[in-house]
Amino acid sequence: MITLGQTFANLRGRPGRTFLTALGTALGIATIVALLAVVGGVRQSAGSLVDLGPSEFGLFQSDAADPTTSILATNLIPQLDRTPGIAAATPLVLLVNDLPKAPGAIVFGANAHGFLTGGLVFNSGRSYRSGGEIVVGDTLAAQLRIALGQRLTIAHRRLLVVGIYHNGIAYQDSGAFVSLGTAQAISGRQGEATTIVVKLHPATKPSTAQRTIARRFPGVEVISDAQQATRAGVSGELISQFGLVIVVLALVIGGIGVANTMLMAVTERRSEFALLSAVGFSGPQIAGRVLIESILTTIIGAAIGLLIGVIGARLLIHALGAQTFVSPQVTAWDLGRGLLVGVLLGILGGLYPAWRAANVSPARVLAQH
Amino acid sequence: MPGAQVIAEHLSRVYGQVAVLDDVSFVVEPGELVALTGPSGSGKTTLLQLIGSLDRPTSGRILVDDVSVGELSHPAEFRRATVGFVFQLHYLLPALSAQDNVELPLVAAHVPRRERIERASELLTRVGLGNRARARPAELSGGERQRVAIARALAGRPRLLLADEPTGSLDSAASHKIWELLANACGHDGTTVIVASHDLTLAEHTERSLRLLDGHLVPPTQEQLAPKGIT
Repeated sequence: MITLGQTFANLRGRPGRTFLTALGTALGIATIVALLAVVGGVRQSAGSLVDLGPSEFGLFQSDAADPTTSILATNLIPQLDRTPGIAAATPLVLLVNDLPKAPGAIVFGANAHGFLTGGLVFNSGRSYRSGGEIVVGDTLAAQLRIALGQRLTIAHRRLLVVGIYHNGIAYQDSGAFVSLGTAQAISGRQGEATTIVVKLHPATKPSTAQRTIARRFPGVEVISDAQQATRAGVSGELISQFGLVIVVLALVIGGIGVANTMLMAVTERRSEFALLSAVGFSGPQIAGRVLIESILTTIIGAAIGLLIGVIGARLLIHALGAQTFVSPQVTAWDLGRGLLVGVLLGILGGLYPAWRAANVSPARVLAQH
Repeated sequence: MPGAQVIAEHLSRVYGQVAVLDDVSFVVEPGELVALTGPSGSGKTTLLQLIGSLDRPTSGRILVDDVSVGELSHPAEFRRATVGFVFQLHYLLPALSAQDNVELPLVAAHVPRRERIERASELLTRVGLGNRARARPAELSGGERQRVAIARALAGRPRLLLADEPTGSLDSAASHKIWELLANACGHDGTTVIVASHDLTLAEHTERSLRLLDGHLVPPTQEQLAPKGIT
Protein backbone atom coordinates (compact mmCIF):
# COMPACT_ATOMS: atom_id res chain seq x y z
CA MET A 1 0.00 0.00 0.00
CA ILE A 2 1.46 3.31 -1.00
CA THR A 3 -0.03 6.69 -0.30
CA LEU A 4 0.25 9.02 -3.25
CA GLY A 5 0.57 11.98 -0.88
CA GLN A 6 3.68 10.46 0.72
CA THR A 7 5.15 9.72 -2.71
CA PHE A 8 4.60 13.34 -3.77
CA ALA A 9 6.08 14.47 -0.45
CA ASN A 10 9.17 12.38 -1.20
CA LEU A 11 9.46 13.95 -4.65
CA ARG A 12 8.95 17.45 -3.26
CA GLY A 13 11.51 16.70 -0.57
CA ARG A 14 14.18 16.24 -3.27
CA PRO A 15 13.31 18.99 -5.73
CA GLY A 16 16.71 19.04 -7.47
CA ARG A 17 16.76 15.35 -8.24
CA THR A 18 13.08 15.24 -9.19
CA PHE A 19 13.55 18.21 -11.50
CA LEU A 20 16.63 16.81 -13.21
CA THR A 21 15.12 13.36 -13.70
CA ALA A 22 11.91 14.89 -15.01
CA LEU A 23 13.90 17.20 -17.27
CA GLY A 24 15.87 14.29 -18.75
CA THR A 25 12.62 12.49 -19.45
CA ALA A 26 11.04 15.66 -20.79
CA LEU A 27 13.81 16.18 -23.33
CA GLY A 28 13.58 12.57 -24.49
CA ILE A 29 9.80 12.73 -24.84
CA ALA A 30 10.02 16.16 -26.51
CA THR A 31 12.38 14.71 -29.10
CA ILE A 32 10.04 11.82 -29.76
CA VAL A 33 6.94 14.00 -30.04
CA ALA A 34 8.69 16.56 -32.24
CA LEU A 35 9.94 13.87 -34.59
CA LEU A 36 6.58 12.14 -34.75
CA ALA A 37 4.98 15.49 -35.55
CA VAL A 38 7.52 16.23 -38.28
CA VAL A 39 7.22 12.73 -39.77
CA GLY A 40 3.44 13.12 -39.67
CA GLY A 41 3.77 16.46 -41.44
CA VAL A 42 6.03 14.99 -44.11
CA ARG A 43 3.61 12.14 -44.75
CA GLN A 44 0.74 14.57 -45.00
CA SER A 45 2.69 16.81 -47.38
CA ALA A 46 3.81 13.96 -49.61
CA GLY A 47 0.30 12.58 -49.74
CA SER A 48 -1.19 15.92 -50.69
CA LEU A 49 1.29 16.54 -53.47
CA VAL A 50 0.03 13.60 -55.51
CA ASP A 51 -3.61 14.22 -54.80
CA LEU A 52 -4.03 15.41 -58.33
CA GLY A 53 -7.75 15.44 -58.78
CA PRO A 54 -8.97 13.59 -61.87
CA SER A 55 -5.67 11.87 -62.58
CA GLU A 56 -5.11 8.26 -61.76
CA PHE A 57 -1.35 8.09 -61.47
CA GLY A 58 1.56 10.40 -60.82
CA LEU A 59 4.88 9.40 -62.34
CA PHE A 60 7.96 10.45 -60.40
CA GLN A 61 11.65 9.94 -60.72
CA SER A 62 12.72 6.80 -58.87
CA ASP A 63 14.87 7.38 -55.80
CA ALA A 64 14.02 11.10 -55.66
CA ALA A 65 14.61 12.40 -52.14
CA ASP A 66 10.96 13.38 -52.03
CA PRO A 67 8.23 13.97 -54.64
CA THR A 68 9.06 17.68 -54.97
CA THR A 69 12.61 16.98 -56.12
CA SER A 70 11.69 14.53 -58.88
CA ILE A 71 12.81 15.42 -62.44
CA LEU A 72 11.35 13.75 -65.53
CA ALA A 73 11.91 14.62 -69.20
CA THR A 74 8.73 15.81 -70.93
CA ASN A 75 9.66 13.85 -74.06
CA LEU A 76 8.32 10.80 -72.21
CA ILE A 77 4.82 12.12 -72.82
CA PRO A 78 4.44 11.05 -76.48
CA GLN A 79 5.65 7.58 -75.51
CA LEU A 80 3.17 7.49 -72.63
CA ASP A 81 0.37 8.60 -74.93
CA ARG A 82 1.13 5.58 -77.10
CA THR A 83 1.08 3.18 -74.16
CA PRO A 84 -2.02 0.93 -74.11
CA GLY A 85 -4.55 1.88 -71.47
CA ILE A 86 -3.36 5.47 -71.05
CA ALA A 87 -5.86 8.09 -72.17
CA ALA A 88 -3.72 11.17 -71.58
CA ALA A 89 -0.48 12.29 -69.96
CA THR A 90 0.41 15.83 -68.93
CA PRO A 91 3.53 17.30 -67.32
CA LEU A 92 3.45 19.17 -64.05
CA VAL A 93 6.19 21.37 -62.58
CA LEU A 94 6.15 22.16 -58.88
CA LEU A 95 7.65 25.48 -57.83
CA VAL A 96 8.41 25.62 -54.14
CA ASN A 97 9.47 28.73 -52.22
CA ASP A 98 9.11 31.02 -55.24
CA LEU A 99 6.24 33.12 -53.91
CA PRO A 100 7.91 35.55 -51.49
CA LYS A 101 4.68 36.71 -49.85
CA ALA A 102 3.53 33.13 -49.19
CA PRO A 103 6.55 30.85 -48.85
CA GLY A 104 4.34 27.87 -48.01
CA ALA A 105 2.44 28.06 -51.27
CA ILE A 106 3.25 25.78 -54.18
CA VAL A 107 2.99 27.10 -57.71
CA PHE A 108 2.00 24.45 -60.25
CA GLY A 109 3.16 24.74 -63.84
CA ALA A 110 0.76 22.92 -66.17
CA ASN A 111 -0.52 23.10 -69.76
CA ALA A 112 -3.48 25.44 -69.96
CA HIS A 113 -5.53 22.89 -71.87
CA GLY A 114 -4.35 19.78 -70.02
CA PHE A 115 -6.80 17.72 -67.98
CA LEU A 116 -5.22 18.98 -64.74
CA THR A 117 -6.26 22.58 -65.18
CA GLY A 118 -9.53 21.45 -66.68
CA GLY A 119 -10.54 20.35 -63.15
CA LEU A 120 -10.20 23.86 -61.71
CA VAL A 121 -13.53 25.47 -60.92
CA PHE A 122 -13.27 29.27 -61.22
CA ASN A 123 -15.01 31.45 -58.67
CA SER A 124 -14.11 34.41 -60.82
CA GLY A 125 -12.15 35.05 -63.99
CA ARG A 126 -10.82 32.36 -66.30
CA SER A 127 -7.83 30.08 -66.88
CA TYR A 128 -4.53 31.50 -68.10
CA ARG A 129 -3.86 31.80 -71.79
CA SER A 130 -0.30 33.12 -71.88
CA GLY A 131 2.96 32.92 -69.96
CA GLY A 132 2.34 36.28 -68.30
CA GLU A 133 -0.86 35.15 -66.56
CA ILE A 134 -1.55 33.28 -63.36
CA VAL A 135 -4.59 31.76 -61.68
CA VAL A 136 -4.71 31.70 -57.88
CA GLY A 137 -6.43 29.36 -55.43
CA ASP A 138 -9.10 31.02 -53.30
CA THR A 139 -7.26 30.28 -50.04
CA LEU A 140 -4.09 31.94 -51.31
CA ALA A 141 -6.08 34.84 -52.76
CA ALA A 142 -7.69 35.45 -49.38
CA GLN A 143 -4.34 35.15 -47.65
CA LEU A 144 -2.66 37.64 -49.98
CA ARG A 145 -5.84 39.77 -50.38
CA ILE A 146 -5.37 39.65 -54.09
CA ALA A 147 -8.06 40.17 -56.70
CA LEU A 148 -8.46 39.80 -60.45
CA GLY A 149 -6.41 42.23 -62.47
CA GLN A 150 -3.73 42.60 -59.83
CA ARG A 151 -0.19 41.37 -60.34
CA LEU A 152 1.59 38.71 -58.34
CA THR A 153 5.36 38.41 -58.27
CA ILE A 154 6.82 34.93 -58.64
CA ALA A 155 10.61 34.62 -58.78
CA HIS A 156 10.90 38.25 -59.91
CA ARG A 157 8.23 37.81 -62.63
CA ARG A 158 5.14 39.95 -62.28
CA LEU A 159 2.20 37.86 -63.48
CA LEU A 160 -1.35 39.08 -64.05
CA VAL A 161 -4.01 37.37 -61.96
CA VAL A 162 -6.73 36.29 -64.40
CA GLY A 163 -8.67 33.77 -62.35
CA ILE A 164 -9.44 32.60 -58.80
CA TYR A 165 -10.37 28.94 -58.43
CA HIS A 166 -11.40 26.38 -55.86
CA ASN A 167 -11.12 22.62 -56.31
CA GLY A 168 -11.11 21.30 -52.74
CA ILE A 169 -7.50 20.10 -52.72
CA ALA A 170 -5.79 22.02 -49.94
CA TYR A 171 -2.40 22.31 -51.62
CA GLN A 172 -3.88 23.56 -54.85
CA ASP A 173 -6.35 25.95 -53.21
CA SER A 174 -3.52 27.49 -51.20
CA GLY A 175 -1.30 27.63 -54.30
CA ALA A 176 -1.43 28.89 -57.87
CA PHE A 177 -1.19 27.65 -61.47
CA VAL A 178 0.96 29.12 -64.24
CA SER A 179 1.71 27.89 -67.74
CA LEU A 180 4.16 25.01 -68.08
CA GLY A 181 6.58 27.21 -70.06
CA THR A 182 6.62 29.87 -67.37
CA ALA A 183 7.25 27.30 -64.65
CA GLN A 184 10.03 25.69 -66.66
CA ALA A 185 11.59 29.08 -67.26
CA ILE A 186 11.43 29.96 -63.56
CA SER A 187 12.94 26.64 -62.52
CA GLY A 188 15.50 26.74 -65.34
CA ARG A 189 14.47 23.28 -66.46
CA GLN A 190 13.36 23.50 -70.04
CA GLY A 191 11.97 20.22 -71.32
CA GLU A 192 11.60 18.82 -67.82
CA ALA A 193 8.80 18.34 -65.31
CA THR A 194 8.56 17.38 -61.69
CA THR A 195 5.96 14.75 -62.42
CA ILE A 196 3.88 13.48 -65.27
CA VAL A 197 0.25 12.93 -64.47
CA VAL A 198 -1.39 10.05 -66.28
CA LYS A 199 -5.08 9.52 -66.92
CA LEU A 200 -6.24 6.01 -67.73
CA HIS A 201 -8.93 4.80 -70.13
CA PRO A 202 -12.06 3.96 -68.15
CA ALA A 203 -11.75 0.29 -69.07
CA THR A 204 -8.11 0.01 -67.99
CA LYS A 205 -7.34 -1.75 -64.75
CA PRO A 206 -4.98 0.48 -62.72
CA SER A 207 -2.83 -2.45 -61.62
CA THR A 208 -2.32 -3.56 -65.24
CA ALA A 209 -1.42 -0.02 -66.36
CA GLN A 210 0.93 0.36 -63.42
CA ARG A 211 2.78 -2.83 -64.36
CA THR A 212 2.96 -1.77 -68.01
CA ILE A 213 4.40 1.67 -67.17
CA ALA A 214 6.89 0.21 -64.74
CA ARG A 215 8.05 -2.24 -67.41
CA ARG A 216 8.29 0.27 -70.26
CA PHE A 217 9.75 3.21 -68.33
CA PRO A 218 12.54 2.08 -66.02
CA GLY A 219 13.64 4.72 -63.55
CA VAL A 220 10.08 5.98 -63.17
CA GLU A 221 8.11 5.46 -60.00
CA VAL A 222 4.35 5.05 -60.40
CA ILE A 223 2.41 6.51 -57.53
CA SER A 224 -1.29 5.99 -57.22
CA ASP A 225 -2.07 7.01 -53.65
CA ALA A 226 -0.81 9.12 -50.79
CA GLN A 227 0.62 6.22 -48.86
CA GLN A 228 2.64 5.19 -51.88
CA ALA A 229 3.91 8.73 -52.21
CA THR A 230 5.07 8.67 -48.66
CA ARG A 231 6.84 5.38 -49.23
CA ALA A 232 8.39 6.63 -52.43
CA GLY A 233 9.86 9.72 -50.77
CA VAL A 234 13.34 8.74 -49.69
CA SER A 235 13.56 11.66 -47.25
CA GLY A 236 10.22 10.80 -45.76
CA GLU A 237 11.34 7.23 -45.37
CA LEU A 238 14.63 8.33 -43.86
CA ILE A 239 12.85 10.62 -41.43
CA SER A 240 10.49 7.79 -40.51
CA GLN A 241 13.40 5.43 -39.89
CA PHE A 242 15.30 8.14 -38.07
CA GLY A 243 12.26 8.84 -35.94
CA LEU A 244 12.01 5.18 -35.00
CA VAL A 245 15.70 5.02 -34.13
CA ILE A 246 15.34 8.14 -31.98
CA VAL A 247 12.35 6.65 -30.17
CA VAL A 248 14.29 3.46 -29.40
CA LEU A 249 17.38 5.44 -28.41
CA ALA A 250 15.31 7.73 -26.21
CA LEU A 251 13.83 4.68 -24.50
CA VAL A 252 17.21 3.03 -23.97
CA ILE A 253 19.17 6.16 -22.99
CA GLY A 254 16.27 7.61 -21.03
CA GLY A 255 15.71 4.26 -19.30
CA ILE A 256 19.38 4.05 -18.32
CA GLY A 257 19.31 7.68 -17.15
CA VAL A 258 16.21 7.17 -15.03
CA ALA A 259 17.61 3.88 -13.70
CA ASN A 260 20.88 5.57 -12.80
CA THR A 261 19.16 8.45 -11.03
CA MET A 262 16.77 6.17 -9.18
CA LEU A 263 19.62 3.86 -8.25
CA MET A 264 21.54 6.77 -6.77
CA ALA A 265 18.42 7.78 -4.90
CA VAL A 266 18.00 4.25 -3.57
CA THR A 267 21.66 4.09 -2.51
CA GLU A 268 21.34 7.40 -0.69
CA ARG A 269 18.10 6.31 0.92
CA ARG A 270 19.16 2.85 2.07
CA SER A 271 18.50 3.75 5.69
CA GLU A 272 15.00 4.89 4.71
CA PHE A 273 14.23 1.55 3.06
CA ALA A 274 15.82 -0.32 5.97
CA LEU A 275 13.54 1.65 8.31
CA LEU A 276 10.50 0.87 6.17
CA SER A 277 11.41 -2.79 6.30
CA ALA A 278 11.85 -2.57 10.09
CA VAL A 279 8.40 -1.03 10.58
CA GLY A 280 6.77 -3.79 8.56
CA PHE A 281 6.85 -2.88 4.89
CA SER A 282 7.29 -6.00 2.77
CA GLY A 283 9.74 -6.20 -0.15
CA PRO A 284 7.00 -5.73 -2.78
CA GLN A 285 5.61 -2.74 -0.84
CA ILE A 286 9.03 -1.06 -0.78
CA ALA A 287 9.64 -1.89 -4.45
CA GLY A 288 6.20 -0.45 -5.24
CA ARG A 289 7.10 2.85 -3.54
CA VAL A 290 10.26 3.19 -5.61
CA LEU A 291 8.50 2.20 -8.81
CA ILE A 292 5.63 4.63 -8.23
CA GLU A 293 8.13 7.43 -7.53
CA SER A 294 9.97 6.58 -10.72
CA ILE A 295 6.79 6.49 -12.80
CA LEU A 296 5.44 9.70 -11.26
CA THR A 297 8.71 11.49 -11.99
CA THR A 298 8.75 10.37 -15.61
CA ILE A 299 5.06 11.18 -16.08
CA ILE A 300 5.76 14.72 -14.86
CA GLY A 301 8.69 14.78 -17.28
CA ALA A 302 6.54 13.36 -20.08
CA ALA A 303 3.88 16.04 -19.56
CA ILE A 304 6.51 18.77 -19.83
CA GLY A 305 8.09 16.91 -22.76
CA LEU A 306 4.80 16.82 -24.68
CA LEU A 307 4.54 20.59 -24.42
CA ILE A 308 8.15 21.15 -25.44
CA GLY A 309 7.75 18.60 -28.25
CA VAL A 310 4.77 20.34 -29.81
CA ILE A 311 6.54 23.69 -29.71
CA GLY A 312 9.85 22.06 -30.67
CA ALA A 313 8.35 20.47 -33.80
CA ARG A 314 7.52 23.91 -35.19
CA LEU A 315 10.93 25.26 -34.23
CA LEU A 316 12.60 22.22 -35.81
CA ILE A 317 10.76 22.66 -39.09
CA HIS A 318 11.64 26.35 -39.13
CA ALA A 319 15.26 25.57 -38.29
CA LEU A 320 15.37 23.11 -41.19
CA GLY A 321 13.75 25.68 -43.45
CA ALA A 322 11.08 23.14 -44.31
CA GLN A 323 8.05 25.17 -43.28
CA THR A 324 7.20 25.60 -46.97
CA PHE A 325 6.37 21.93 -47.43
CA VAL A 326 5.75 20.62 -43.97
CA SER A 327 3.58 21.67 -41.09
CA PRO A 328 3.90 19.45 -38.01
CA GLN A 329 1.03 17.07 -37.43
CA VAL A 330 0.49 16.30 -33.75
CA THR A 331 -2.24 13.76 -33.20
CA ALA A 332 -3.74 12.55 -29.94
CA TRP A 333 -2.07 9.23 -30.68
CA ASP A 334 1.34 10.96 -30.90
CA LEU A 335 0.73 12.58 -27.51
CA GLY A 336 -0.50 9.26 -26.14
CA ARG A 337 2.64 7.56 -27.40
CA GLY A 338 4.77 10.24 -25.73
CA LEU A 339 2.99 9.66 -22.44
CA LEU A 340 3.25 5.90 -22.87
CA VAL A 341 6.99 6.21 -23.42
CA GLY A 342 7.15 8.25 -20.20
CA VAL A 343 5.39 5.51 -18.24
CA LEU A 344 7.60 2.87 -19.88
CA LEU A 345 10.70 4.86 -18.96
CA GLY A 346 9.48 5.04 -15.38
CA ILE A 347 8.88 1.30 -15.24
CA LEU A 348 12.08 0.30 -17.06
CA GLY A 349 14.22 2.78 -15.17
CA GLY A 350 12.60 1.97 -11.84
CA LEU A 351 12.63 -1.83 -11.94
CA TYR A 352 16.22 -2.50 -10.91
CA PRO A 353 16.37 0.29 -8.29
CA ALA A 354 13.06 -1.02 -6.91
CA TRP A 355 14.52 -4.49 -6.63
CA ARG A 356 17.61 -3.11 -4.90
CA ALA A 357 15.47 -1.13 -2.46
CA ALA A 358 13.34 -4.16 -1.68
CA ASN A 359 16.46 -6.17 -0.84
CA VAL A 360 18.14 -3.70 1.49
CA SER A 361 19.14 -5.58 4.65
CA PRO A 362 17.66 -3.62 7.57
CA ALA A 363 19.97 -5.28 10.10
CA ARG A 364 23.12 -4.34 8.21
CA VAL A 365 22.08 -0.81 7.28
CA LEU A 366 20.62 0.18 10.65
CA ALA A 367 23.60 -1.32 12.49
CA GLN A 368 26.01 0.67 10.28
CA HIS A 369 24.40 3.88 11.42
CA MET B 1 -3.62 -6.85 24.23
CA PRO B 2 -0.96 -8.37 26.54
CA GLY B 3 2.73 -8.08 25.76
CA ALA B 4 4.69 -10.82 24.08
CA GLN B 5 6.80 -13.44 25.78
CA VAL B 6 10.36 -13.69 24.48
CA ILE B 7 12.44 -16.85 24.89
CA ALA B 8 16.02 -17.12 23.64
CA GLU B 9 17.44 -20.67 23.50
CA HIS B 10 21.20 -21.12 23.02
CA LEU B 11 21.27 -18.22 20.63
CA SER B 12 24.42 -17.57 18.58
CA ARG B 13 25.22 -15.17 15.79
CA VAL B 14 28.49 -15.44 13.94
CA TYR B 15 29.69 -12.95 11.29
CA GLY B 16 32.56 -14.53 9.37
CA GLN B 17 34.85 -15.81 12.13
CA VAL B 18 33.51 -13.47 14.81
CA ALA B 19 30.92 -14.75 17.26
CA VAL B 20 28.94 -11.65 18.18
CA LEU B 21 26.54 -13.68 20.33
CA ASP B 22 27.44 -17.02 21.84
CA ASP B 23 24.97 -19.40 23.47
CA VAL B 24 22.64 -16.78 24.91
CA SER B 25 19.51 -17.97 26.68
CA PHE B 26 16.91 -16.00 28.65
CA VAL B 27 13.19 -15.47 29.09
CA VAL B 28 11.34 -12.14 29.13
CA GLU B 29 7.80 -12.41 30.43
CA PRO B 30 4.83 -10.57 28.87
CA GLY B 31 4.58 -6.96 30.02
CA GLU B 32 8.12 -6.82 31.45
CA LEU B 33 10.39 -3.80 31.05
CA VAL B 34 13.87 -5.26 30.72
CA ALA B 35 17.22 -3.53 30.37
CA LEU B 36 19.82 -5.04 28.09
CA THR B 37 23.14 -3.60 29.14
CA GLY B 38 26.74 -4.02 28.20
CA PRO B 39 29.58 -2.11 26.67
CA SER B 40 29.73 -1.17 23.01
CA GLY B 41 30.33 -4.25 20.85
CA SER B 42 28.93 -6.66 23.40
CA GLY B 43 26.15 -7.82 21.05
CA LYS B 44 23.16 -5.81 22.30
CA THR B 45 22.12 -4.48 18.90
CA THR B 46 22.55 -7.90 17.30
CA LEU B 47 20.40 -9.48 19.99
CA LEU B 48 17.63 -6.90 19.48
CA GLN B 49 17.79 -7.46 15.71
CA LEU B 50 17.44 -11.21 16.19
CA ILE B 51 14.46 -10.75 18.53
CA GLY B 52 12.87 -8.33 16.07
CA SER B 53 13.43 -10.65 13.06
CA LEU B 54 15.69 -8.14 11.29
CA ASP B 55 18.38 -10.83 11.29
CA ARG B 56 18.53 -14.63 11.67
CA PRO B 57 20.54 -16.55 14.28
CA THR B 58 23.43 -18.75 13.21
CA SER B 59 22.28 -21.35 15.71
CA GLY B 60 19.76 -21.64 18.52
CA ARG B 61 16.36 -20.08 18.27
CA ILE B 62 14.30 -17.23 19.54
CA LEU B 63 10.62 -17.56 20.25
CA VAL B 64 8.23 -14.63 20.44
CA ASP B 65 4.93 -15.98 21.72
CA ASP B 66 6.00 -19.43 20.50
CA VAL B 67 6.82 -18.13 17.01
CA SER B 68 10.37 -19.00 16.00
CA VAL B 69 11.24 -15.68 14.46
CA GLY B 70 14.46 -16.86 12.82
CA GLU B 71 12.50 -19.24 10.62
CA LEU B 72 9.83 -16.86 9.37
CA SER B 73 9.35 -16.78 5.61
CA HIS B 74 7.73 -13.31 5.76
CA PRO B 75 9.42 -11.53 8.67
CA ALA B 76 8.05 -8.12 7.59
CA GLU B 77 4.52 -9.34 8.39
CA PHE B 78 5.66 -10.48 11.81
CA ARG B 79 7.32 -7.12 12.50
CA ARG B 80 4.26 -5.26 11.30
CA ALA B 81 1.96 -7.24 13.62
CA THR B 82 4.13 -7.69 16.68
CA VAL B 83 7.20 -5.47 17.00
CA GLY B 84 7.91 -1.78 17.40
CA PHE B 85 11.46 -0.46 17.04
CA VAL B 86 13.13 2.61 18.50
CA PHE B 87 16.71 3.27 17.39
CA GLN B 88 19.38 5.56 18.72
CA LEU B 89 19.03 7.59 15.54
CA HIS B 90 15.40 8.45 15.05
CA TYR B 91 15.31 7.36 11.36
CA LEU B 92 12.40 9.65 10.61
CA LEU B 93 11.85 10.17 6.88
CA PRO B 94 12.96 13.76 6.27
CA ALA B 95 10.42 14.50 3.53
CA LEU B 96 7.45 13.51 5.69
CA SER B 97 5.79 15.34 8.55
CA ALA B 98 5.77 13.96 12.08
CA GLN B 99 2.18 12.81 11.49
CA ASP B 100 3.11 10.98 8.25
CA ASN B 101 6.12 9.38 9.90
CA VAL B 102 3.96 8.01 12.72
CA GLU B 103 1.48 6.68 10.15
CA LEU B 104 4.12 4.60 8.32
CA PRO B 105 3.57 1.27 10.14
CA LEU B 106 -0.16 1.72 9.62
CA VAL B 107 0.36 2.33 5.90
CA ALA B 108 2.32 -0.92 5.76
CA ALA B 109 -0.58 -2.65 7.54
CA HIS B 110 -3.16 -1.25 5.07
CA VAL B 111 -5.01 0.59 7.84
CA PRO B 112 -7.68 2.92 6.41
CA ARG B 113 -6.67 6.60 6.14
CA ARG B 114 -9.11 7.99 8.68
CA GLU B 115 -8.05 5.43 11.27
CA ARG B 116 -4.38 6.11 10.54
CA ILE B 117 -4.82 9.81 11.07
CA GLU B 118 -6.72 9.31 14.35
CA ARG B 119 -4.18 6.86 15.71
CA ALA B 120 -1.17 8.99 14.76
CA SER B 121 -2.75 12.12 16.24
CA GLU B 122 -3.55 10.28 19.46
CA LEU B 123 0.03 9.02 19.77
CA LEU B 124 1.58 12.40 19.00
CA THR B 125 -0.59 13.92 21.73
CA ARG B 126 0.49 11.15 24.07
CA VAL B 127 4.17 11.91 23.49
CA GLY B 128 3.48 15.63 23.96
CA LEU B 129 3.76 16.64 20.30
CA GLY B 130 0.11 17.07 19.40
CA ASN B 131 0.80 20.60 18.21
CA ARG B 132 3.82 19.58 16.11
CA ALA B 133 2.07 17.06 13.85
CA ARG B 134 2.78 18.96 10.60
CA ALA B 135 6.43 19.67 11.47
CA ARG B 136 9.16 18.02 9.42
CA PRO B 137 11.96 16.21 11.30
CA ALA B 138 14.37 19.06 10.49
CA GLU B 139 12.06 21.41 12.41
CA LEU B 140 12.12 19.28 15.57
CA SER B 141 14.68 19.04 18.36
CA GLY B 142 16.57 15.78 19.00
CA GLY B 143 14.30 14.87 21.92
CA GLU B 144 11.17 15.66 19.90
CA ARG B 145 12.36 13.49 17.01
CA GLN B 146 12.93 10.59 19.35
CA ARG B 147 9.45 11.07 20.80
CA VAL B 148 8.03 10.94 17.28
CA ALA B 149 10.05 7.75 16.75
CA ILE B 150 8.46 6.25 19.88
CA ALA B 151 5.01 7.26 18.66
CA ARG B 152 5.82 5.54 15.34
CA ALA B 153 6.99 2.41 17.18
CA LEU B 154 3.71 2.30 19.11
CA ALA B 155 1.47 3.05 16.10
CA GLY B 156 0.86 -0.59 15.20
CA ARG B 157 -0.01 -1.46 18.85
CA PRO B 158 2.99 -3.80 19.11
CA ARG B 159 3.17 -6.44 21.81
CA LEU B 160 6.94 -6.10 21.88
CA LEU B 161 8.87 -2.83 21.88
CA LEU B 162 12.60 -3.00 21.16
CA ALA B 163 14.62 0.13 21.87
CA ASP B 164 18.28 0.34 20.96
CA GLU B 165 20.09 3.13 22.86
CA PRO B 166 16.98 5.35 22.65
CA THR B 167 18.53 8.07 24.81
CA GLY B 168 22.06 7.72 23.47
CA SER B 169 22.18 11.11 21.81
CA LEU B 170 19.90 13.06 24.15
CA ASP B 171 20.47 15.31 27.15
CA SER B 172 19.23 14.23 30.56
CA ALA B 173 15.91 16.11 30.42
CA ALA B 174 15.02 14.65 27.04
CA SER B 175 16.21 11.22 28.20
CA HIS B 176 13.94 11.40 31.21
CA LYS B 177 10.94 12.09 28.98
CA ILE B 178 11.83 9.12 26.76
CA TRP B 179 12.04 6.84 29.79
CA GLU B 180 8.66 7.99 30.93
CA LEU B 181 7.19 7.13 27.56
CA LEU B 182 8.81 3.69 27.45
CA ALA B 183 7.66 2.93 30.99
CA ASN B 184 4.20 4.14 30.08
CA ALA B 185 4.11 1.84 27.04
CA CYS B 186 4.85 -1.03 29.38
CA GLY B 187 2.57 -0.02 32.26
CA HIS B 188 -0.29 1.51 30.26
CA ASP B 189 -0.42 -0.83 27.27
CA GLY B 190 1.08 -3.97 28.80
CA THR B 191 3.70 -4.02 26.06
CA THR B 192 6.85 -6.02 26.65
CA VAL B 193 9.75 -3.57 26.42
CA ILE B 194 13.42 -4.47 25.98
CA VAL B 195 15.79 -1.52 26.08
CA ALA B 196 19.45 -1.86 25.12
CA SER B 197 22.03 0.61 26.42
CA HIS B 198 25.68 0.75 27.35
CA ASP B 199 24.62 2.99 30.24
CA LEU B 200 24.73 0.87 33.39
CA THR B 201 22.46 3.27 35.28
CA LEU B 202 19.72 2.21 32.88
CA ALA B 203 18.76 -0.46 35.35
CA GLU B 204 17.23 2.10 37.69
CA HIS B 205 14.44 2.62 35.17
CA THR B 206 13.73 -1.07 34.57
CA GLU B 207 12.40 -4.06 36.45
CA ARG B 208 15.18 -6.43 35.41
CA SER B 209 18.52 -6.33 33.62
CA LEU B 210 20.24 -8.67 31.20
CA ARG B 211 23.95 -7.98 30.87
CA LEU B 212 25.96 -8.88 27.81
CA LEU B 213 29.72 -9.04 27.69
CA ASP B 214 31.60 -10.14 24.58
CA GLY B 215 28.52 -11.94 23.27
CA HIS B 216 27.80 -13.83 26.48
CA LEU B 217 25.06 -13.21 28.99
CA VAL B 218 26.65 -12.52 32.38
CA PRO B 219 25.12 -11.81 35.82
CA PRO B 220 24.16 -8.16 36.51
CA THR B 221 26.74 -5.99 38.28
CA GLN B 222 26.37 -4.81 41.87
CA GLU B 223 25.83 -1.32 40.47
CA GLN B 224 22.81 -2.57 38.54
CA LEU B 225 21.40 -4.50 41.48
CA ALA B 226 21.89 -1.74 44.08
CA PRO B 227 19.07 0.61 42.99
CA LYS B 228 16.56 -2.22 43.42
CA GLY B 229 17.88 -3.08 46.91
CA ILE B 230 19.29 -6.42 45.77
CA THR B 231 22.76 -7.38 46.93
